[in-house]
Amino acid sequence: MSFFDDEEILEDFLVEAGEILEQLSEQLVQLEKQPDDKNLLNAIFRGFHTVKGGAGFLQLTPMVDCCHVTENLFDNLRNGKRQVTSELMDIVLQALDAVNNMFAQIKERIPPEPASDELLQALQVLANGDDLGSVPADPNVSETASAARGAADVAIVAADGSASDDMTDEEFDQLLAALDSADFEAEAENRASEPPATPAAGDAEEISDDEFEALLDQLQGAPAEPSAEKEPSANKEPSANKEPSAEKEPSANKEPSASKEPSASKEPSANKKPSANEKPSAQQNSDEITDDEFEALLDQLQDGSSSDAPPAAAPAETSKARPVLKAVPDSAAAQTPPPGAKPEPKPEVRAAAADQAPVAETTVRVDTRRLDDIMNMVGELVLVRNRLVRIGSTAADEMLSKAVANLDVVTADLQTSVMKTRMQPIKKVFGRFPRVVRDLARSLKKDVVLELLGEETDLDKNLVEALADPLVHLVRNAVDHGIELPDKRQAAGKPRQGTILLSAEQEGDHILLTINDDGNGMDPDMLRGKAVEKGIMDKDAADRLSNSECFDLIFAPGFSTKTEVSDVSGRGVGMDVVKTKITQLNGSVFIDSKPGRGTRIEIKVPLTLAIMPTLMILVGEQAFALPLASVSEIFNLDLNGTHVVDGQQVVTVRDKALPLFHLRRWLTQDAQRGDAERKTDANVVIVTVGAQRVGFVVDTLIGQEEVVIKPLGRMLHGTPGMAGATITGDGRIAVILDVPGLLKRYAA
Amino acid sequence: MAEVKKQENDQVLQWVTFQLENETYGVDVMVVKEVLKFQDIAPVPGAPGYVMGIINIRGTVISVINTRCRFGLPDRDPDDNTRIVIIEIGQHIVGIVVDSVAEVVYLKRSEIETPPQVNKDESARFIQGVCHRDDQLLILVELDKLLTEEELAELDH
Repeated sequence: MSFFDDEEILEDFLVEAGEILEQLSEQLVQLEKQPDDKNLLNAIFRGFHTVKGGAGFLQLTPMVDCCHVTENLFDNLRNGKRQVTSELMDIVLQALDAVNNMFAQIKERIPPEPASDELLQALQVLANGDDLGSVPADPNVSETASAARGAADVAIVAADGSASDDMTDEEFDQLLAALDSADFEAEAENRASEPPATPAAGDAEEISDDEFEALLDQLQGAPAEPSAEKEPSANKEPSANKEPSAEKEPSANKEPSASKEPSASKEPSANKKPSANEKPSAQQNSDEITDDEFEALLDQLQDGSSSDAPPAAAPAETSKARPVLKAVPDSAAAQTPPPGAKPEPKPEVRAAAADQAPVAETTVRVDTRRLDDIMNMVGELVLVRNRLVRIGSTAADEMLSKAVANLDVVTADLQTSVMKTRMQPIKKVFGRFPRVVRDLARSLKKDVVLELLGEETDLDKNLVEALADPLVHLVRNAVDHGIELPDKRQAAGKPRQGTILLSAEQEGDHILLTINDDGNGMDPDMLRGKAVEKGIMDKDAADRLSNSECFDLIFAPGFSTKTEVSDVSGRGVGMDVVKTKITQLNGSVFIDSKPGRGTRIEIKVPLTLAIMPTLMILVGEQAFALPLASVSEIFNLDLNGTHVVDGQQVVTVRDKALPLFHLRRWLTQDAQRGDAERKTDANVVIVTVGAQRVGFVVDTLIGQEEVVIKPLGRMLHGTPGMAGATITGDGRIAVILDVPGLLKRYAA
Repeated sequence: MAEVKKQENDQVLQWVTFQLENETYGVDVMVVKEVLKFQDIAPVPGAPGYVMGIINIRGTVISVINTRCRFGLPDRDPDDNTRIVIIEIGQHIVGIVVDSVAEVVYLKRSEIETPPQVNKDESARFIQGVCHRDDQLLILVELDKLLTEEELAELDH
């Protein structure tokens, strides 16, 4: 079997596991704060478990191993065998990192490297910390000890094990469904023998959910070997399945189990699909499971058994079966809370799975490329509409203008709807910060709490991804540079624990992200000094800087206030990158800081990247589009009223001298300079780049237009000052200017 | 023997012929995506000299290469016959401006002669071969080489 032979399944695994891993990192950090949160522990346990299942299915053994030990550890944790400590969390987080690494490798289609032995050992030691845990198969659940062991060992001895238990139908059903889905023939067998015994013994304890989970875990995790042996026969393919299973499960069992009322519920699963199909009525009355649901379950079973990866099939199955399982019984036993979004992604594990859960299936996963295509086409539509609007406005035909107006409205709605499909909550980015902050704070020996606000704010998917890096950087900075050491904070009369507030909100047509810390703040004078020291500017220039301009200095390449370079920061490259990245997104960054009180960084980004409001201008014959985000004002200027300072033409706007540039000189080759300069008045567009404002002299102002950004193509990609192109309402091409790039290229 | 062998392998190739400054050139029909009438080309300030600008083809932005500049010919104003040939070089789709496009000709591989190795100057680089046809010399160009290795590398970065 080649490494990744089933691309489709792999893709699905990557999507699903990716989501889970993201959640896990968040949950783990949360866990450290609430070490006793049972639900959280369960969720984490299940997360690792699901990933393990998927990995197992794809035979990604290193990943399975790592997840497995971690899972064992969490099993102990949630059973109260161990307490959550920071040290333990460190190891667990390392384990998560290891899994993440492997995940990244798998993404690249590289066989994953196993986690380091030390890590695995550490995990194992922790997992074994209690004498109980020494053997994975060992029962963690004392009351159901025998049952658990029976199942885990996949032994037929289960009969006596189960004899000690009494399970309610419901619980038993869950067990069945889960086990079944796990597709361990052995279990089926096991159970087949179990049920009849149950009513007989029927007086012992009840299985709680947690215990049930443990049982499940063991079934899947521990007995990889024994089950592997037994499974093949069962797994080969559904039809073949009938025979062996019939053999394996003593056929006698089928009968009795079917005949006994209490076990009626078990019967369908004990018999597996064949019999279930034969007598669907038998299960009808069994209890909560409806036909549909049962069918779904069956489908899954079949699905799994047709796979040729016997041992692996099992976990994958479970992961899918479980949501169904959850959806099915109303689970008076309050089946532990479903792990986050699990029921949703699950059905997509395989295409077939979509049919499996006819209940509550309201979401569809769509390839983003398809969405991009749709977005593109809508973009085209918008352009056509623009043209029609233009034509409509000149024609005197009332019918036409009505139709055009209608089209206008519909297109706008369509555009908004399509845009919404691409929206994702910023939570996706925010989710990783608790971990970032925690790790960093621990390594720097600081006490920092991170508060998140407005996680539900939606923004364009591409933006969410593009914002991740800059935000991580800013948050790291806040921890590293901003928040002081606890002692220092105390000395300054602040609480020992520093707070970083990360918030997102929509503000009109853009998103405002703020990162607030209550740390040390920045001292403008110190920044001035640094700037001079680093030779970025001379002392006079530095002294003239306003405070906010000083703060912007930190965005300058090579500017670092740290005297020592650490692994965290101090190289002076990060903020430069942050700034560039955000500017690329047509966003802006604003910093405010009060020495001793903290720093506030505001980032504004547009809601979407695909459509951009621009100001259309003409330079010479050619149309250009200036991103409206950077345009701050437009006015008509008498060119005689300008001055020349240090060789640079400047214009005075409200008592501030702004440099004035003639776009004609930059953007046209012929540049009939004489003409342009002889003109006495000109249209000036004031643009803002960071804290800097400059004036552009343009020939003609056309107006505001929403444009779809088209890439320039590979040949011209990266041309300085050009952000892309767009097609104007009249079908012509306009080049979209990238103002910062333009200034860098031409004004320097 | 050689003759027979030649004929066996004698593939028939199709070439789109176009005119540039009184010379007829041919390009492999497989790389030609479409031929357009000359339309306004929007210049892109700061672009490399051989790129005339960009055009809009049904919503896609395509760069147009100044073929005359590439072939070392003087610039000339477009007229009614001027065409933009959209070609595919590797993964790049670009347009080239030519004086006119004539026809598609069928040439046997055996008819193609190696180009005279006169010099190693700029334009000789992408000449694939020549072919005599109706007393005319047809210059077959290999458009893959229209851009230098470095330029392509730059595109691929």
